[in-house]
Amino acid sequence: MVPLQEGMCPGLDGDLLRSLLAADIRTVEDLVSSDLEDVSRKCSVSYKALFSIRRVLLAQHTAFPVSGADLYEELLSSTAIISTGNPSLDKLLDSGLYTGEITELSGGPGSGKSQVCFGVAVHVSLQLKQSVIYVDTTGGLTASRLLEMLQSETSDGDEQMEALQRIHVFRLFDAYSLRDCLSALRRGGLLQASGGGSVKAVIVDSVSAVISPLLGGKQNEGMSLMIQAAVALKTMAKDFSVAVLVTNHVTRGGGGGVQPGLGASWSHIPRTRILLERVDRAPSGCSSTLRSATLIKSSRQPCHIKEEFDLQRQSRSVRSSSGKRKRDEADS
Amino acid sequence: SAVQLYLGGEFETSAEVLKFGLVLFESGFSLTDDPIVELETANNHGGGEAVTALELLQREKECGSITTFSSQLDRALKGGLPVGKVTEICGAPGVGKTQLCLQLSVDVQVPLSFGGLEGQVIFMDTEGSFVLQRVGDVAAAVVRHFSLVRCHDYVELLAELHLLPDFLRDQPRVRLLVIDSVAFPFRQQLDDLSLRTRLLQGLAQQLVSIATRHNIAVVITNQMTTRLQDSQSHLVPALGEIWGHASTTRILLQWEGSRQVAAIVKSPCCMDTAVQYHITSEGFRDVNQPENSDQPEIPLTERRSL
Repeated sequence: MVPLQEGMCPGLDGDLLRSLLAADIRTVEDLVSSDLEDVSRKCSVSYKALFSIRRVLLAQHTAFPVSGADLYEELLSSTAIISTGNPSLDKLLDSGLYTGEITELSGGPGSGKSQVCFGVAVHVSLQLKQSVIYVDTTGGLTASRLLEMLQSETSDGDEQMEALQRIHVFRLFDAYSLRDCLSALRRGGLLQASGGGSVKAVIVDSVSAVISPLLGGKQNEGMSLMIQAAVALKTMAKDFSVAVLVTNHVTRGGGGGVQPGLGASWSHIPRTRILLERVDRAPSGCSSTLRSATLIKSSRQPCHIKEEFDLQRQSRSVRSSSGKRKRDEADS
Repeated sequence: SAVQLYLGGEFETSAEVLKFGLVLFESGFSLTDDPIVELETANNHGGGEAVTALELLQREKECGSITTFSSQLDRALKGGLPVGKVTEICGAPGVGKTQLCLQLSVDVQVPLSFGGLEGQVIFMDTEGSFVLQRVGDVAAAVVRHFSLVRCHDYVELLAELHLLPDFLRDQPRVRLLVIDSVAFPFRQQLDDLSLRTRLLQGLAQQLVSIATRHNIAVVITNQMTTRLQDSQSHLVPALGEIWGHASTTRILLQWEGSRQVAAIVKSPCCMDTAVQYHITSEGFRDVNQPENSDQPEIPLTERRSL
């Protein structure tokens, strides 16, 4: 449903637009599906002019088919796999976040979703030297934590500052701003937002915080906003070859199990879904920084495989952590 | 929105709605029955500007934090309660939540020359637990820069928060907003749980927005409830699991035997730790550690599932 606007195509000037509106033709669909002779009579416009306008509009708004072979070639050349910086997660994700796709991280409060997002942003910015767009809707982004993570990877102050400059943060707190921001990014604002650097990852933390208040009850807008934001993310991922990472909360399903929030309609949007949980180990009463990640939806790996990792040392896998800890203690 | 339904078109940004609405007006249409739903304010929902993480870091350093005068808690929080974020304090009745909030209301007013924030306070009281005498115990001249709002039910609380941005525009020196407690009005008066969840989520987003846009530390207190899991009952923060996502930092005040412990269970920059405290006539203070203990922080002895 695209509204007719002045200057959309040559010949559609202000006067013609007004007479079309008067004849109850407001969108491109209305014009294309209407009887042109009828319209030309009502608006006292020449049939030829209307016909050429319709042809231009059809050309502008049609989708063209692509052959499978071309599509395959295009995917091979444009898809990249972005490592998350966390070997356990990379194993679950079949080596990392794929560009052109949406990956979702869900988990309860304190399960580590934001920390993993920080880890991804830091890794992409520091190791891969690419720009990251971070949309923060929860207020949880703390730049000092990003700096801490950078400092544990490199001790060069300039590199840290450069990496921080490659992370671009949008702070929005309601669904309309999110939709507007994503639409603007999709329509070419990515390069502008990143100040010319090439963006490889877009992280939205979290989608559910702004969409959930609008779902349910007698409200109709929530679903629509959710799908609009999802469409913007998907087309952004495909058109600009970026990896999109979103976070979601969890709800308790029947039988006490947790499942990702936002319902069944959202569940089709991400290509890969990971559920994060705290690991309850009860030795010596120490609160644990261990988290477990379970793959609940994937088109590449068998589901329900689990990996554990330590939030403090995300860049190293759990198994080798004991050896590394001893070495760190010897250093310090 | 009403405008979208009426015009039957799909608009990508509110700027387009404005433009389209104007075109309609020019051509002599009048939207008679439905009022034009705030086309101007809709345009203020703009996507916002991007800041780099480096600028955020500088801003965070300038914002500072509110010290609690319990040095162990401040150390665990890496400086104190952060300004510009939402912090939640949960605990059973009588454990010291309101006392800590009063302490913070005093601490935020410490003058800049003493290393404080010299800020003003807005205290929203929903339980009627704010008593002037308690504040008098804690400090003498605290009430000069102190606004007290009494909300009797959740509608008043939500309405106050809606009006708050306008109030804050005229009072730029407010640095602390306390809501004591968020749980009380929502637990007493709302039976419809799904409505409660939606209202709470909207409330959470509003609080985060106020904290970020006006550079204010938002502190909310929450009650505890019992949850049965595996035929064992646990004490967990009230208002449900989804409310757990609302705050950036969560501090749990609890009794462990005869000690009072403040546990940080959710934080973007600090690990889970627990510190001991006690409440004196001067307020919320550290417990003096015996000399032979080298670990000021004690481990959480019981894993609370949150």
